[in-house]
Amino acid sequence: MAQIDIQNVQKFFGHLQVLKNLNLTIADGEFVVMLGQSGGGKTTALRAIAGLESVTSGKILINGTEVQDRKASDRDIAFVFQSFSLYPHMTVRENIAFPLRAVRMNATERDKAVNEVAEILQIAEHLNRKPSALSGGDMQRVAIARALVRRPQALLMDEPLGVLDAKLREQMRAEIKRLHIARGSTSVYVTHDQIEAMSLADRIVILHDGVLQQVGAPDEVYLHPTNLFVARFVGSPVMNVNGVRIEGNTVRLAGADASFSFPDDVLASVRGTPADLALGARPEAVLLEHQPTEGYLDVETTNIEPLGSHDIVDVRLGDTVLRARTASGFVSGEGQRVWARLDPAQTHFFDTATGLNLRGAN
Amino acid sequence: MAAVRTNGERTVNRLAIVSVLIITMIFLAPIYWIASTAFKPRNLATTIPPTIVFTPEISPFVKLFTKRSQLRAPPSQEEYEAAPWWERLVFDGGEKVVRSGRGEVQLSGYPSRFMNSLIVAITSTVLAVGMGTFTAYGFSRFKVKGEDDLLFFILSTRMLPPVVVAIPMFLMYRAVGLNDTHLGLIILYTAFNLSFAVWLMKGFIDEIPKEYEEAALVDGYTRMQAFFKIVLPEAATGIAATAVFCFITAWNEYAFALIMTNRRAQTAPPFIPSQVGSGLPDWTVIASGTLLFLLPVAIFTFLLRNHLLRGMSFGAIRK
Repeated sequence: MAQIDIQNVQKFFGHLQVLKNLNLTIADGEFVVMLGQSGGGKTTALRAIAGLESVTSGKILINGTEVQDRKASDRDIAFVFQSFSLYPHMTVRENIAFPLRAVRMNATERDKAVNEVAEILQIAEHLNRKPSALSGGDMQRVAIARALVRRPQALLMDEPLGVLDAKLREQMRAEIKRLHIARGSTSVYVTHDQIEAMSLADRIVILHDGVLQQVGAPDEVYLHPTNLFVARFVGSPVMNVNGVRIEGNTVRLAGADASFSFPDDVLASVRGTPADLALGARPEAVLLEHQPTEGYLDVETTNIEPLGSHDIVDVRLGDTVLRARTASGFVSGEGQRVWARLDPAQTHFFDTATGLNLRGAN
Repeated sequence: MAAVRTNGERTVNRLAIVSVLIITMIFLAPIYWIASTAFKPRNLATTIPPTIVFTPEISPFVKLFTKRSQLRAPPSQEEYEAAPWWERLVFDGGEKVVRSGRGEVQLSGYPSRFMNSLIVAITSTVLAVGMGTFTAYGFSRFKVKGEDDLLFFILSTRMLPPVVVAIPMFLMYRAVGLNDTHLGLIILYTAFNLSFAVWLMKGFIDEIPKEYEEAALVDGYTRMQAFFKIVLPEAATGIAATAVFCFITAWNEYAFALIMTNRRAQTAPPFIPSQVGSGLPDWTVIASGTLLFLLPVAIFTFLLRNHLLRGMSFGAIRK
């Protein structure tokens, strides 16, 4: 297993720059998830590590050795494709043994390694079938088995669960995590699904337009987004973001007809900033009460999404709408009068011009 | 599984089957004619109306393979009894088999022409499909400057009617000593089929997902190894189809073979009709030669039928 360093990597496709000065260190045994929208550069970064894509400039080091000019076959890493990419003319056993044939391992050892990895991934009974006879989940297990069988330096996965249905995706997610804990392999995983990222990652790397936005543990990325892109991209439902004006100790959302009062220490870092500000509050930071309460504003419910474990309630405050997360059944219907407050400790202030978070929530 | 059908639809269905049968019979009639003539006694070959019922004979095939001459007088009793069964068939037709001074049976021109056809068609097919596959792979997988123009240029070689270049080709071939050689025809047919092979194979290789090779590349294989271990087996269907088409073209080619060859490297297509010209033609011999000539293409296509039928949708790629 290995540490991977990415240093000042740039990548152009013609005139289009898809990776802009990327720097990242992935520790030995770490599970890193690259998260971003499609076209954000995450797959290109992964393919650059694998050697399937050359970099325009910069260095990629695996265990301290520069590999950016080495062929994919000389980097000793494994890659799991979204399409699984199982060879249709080979049986499952031949597919898994294929990387071992490249290093000319003898037949006995090869069989042993294949059986072992098939056992771990619970595909032993499919070894003599063709991939086309397998279910989607089993195909993915075979793809992972093929990647793991020769114990590579690192395991790279490009949206490996992207084509599976929701239920199977959840199951395979748990299996990948279990496998990672058992094998401790350095893993880099690309996805656009933030739930996948949150549940799998030791650290999440968020890429947008080829620029690294934030690197951090899942809770850190969720609780302390460094900028508006991360704040909006991570978390479901999306964070409430509104233009805001600060007057004394009060905070007035754009379009709202009343202000929330905020404690001094929360506003200290943003007071006097010349920039236009936006306030970000996740639905759980929007607190609702049935009765008029001190510090709460009078609002009306406009839409309710009952999700079983909790409800997402839209409330109207003047011309603006906030989404709040409540206990399920807290509000019985649309058009109700309730009282709302923002939890100052869970709110963020962003500079609307740069998108930067001026005050991380505590 | 069968969908519900109304009586009207059933009638339409039956009518369709009947019309398909009729069309099939029309298309198969010439082949039946050739096949039946190849087994007819000579005197029944040209009767009007055609003889449908007859006792099949093997004598046309014996005559096809042997050099014969007219008998001036019927063979003597001993001569006839000493002859093997097939030679008696020739005697029955009023001819005798020509033997060399040492008594060896002289073969007709047909077997060597047939061999020439096999040599030229097989070699040029292997060359055209092989080079075509490599070229198509290059165009399919790498960024080639002016790719579209180059591909169009390759195809444009097919737009020129071959007869236009026949005379210049003949003069050039004569100048370099390639006329009436196997190599000459092989080069000609390979060049002729190559453009077609490149275009067909490019279509098939484009269909093979790049990820297959990329998976092999990260698994420790070189691009060459990935090509042979992954791309070629996956392209087997396309290679089979392309090979069948190239083989048919090379096997059936007539005009260039007629112009470029006369003896040593002559293929069967110009040879078979040349027999019609000399004297009173023996249609049964010509029919038997034609029938044998039909077989290689039929056999080749039959052998590759599984590959031809197997769809490309066999893969375990999820899109």
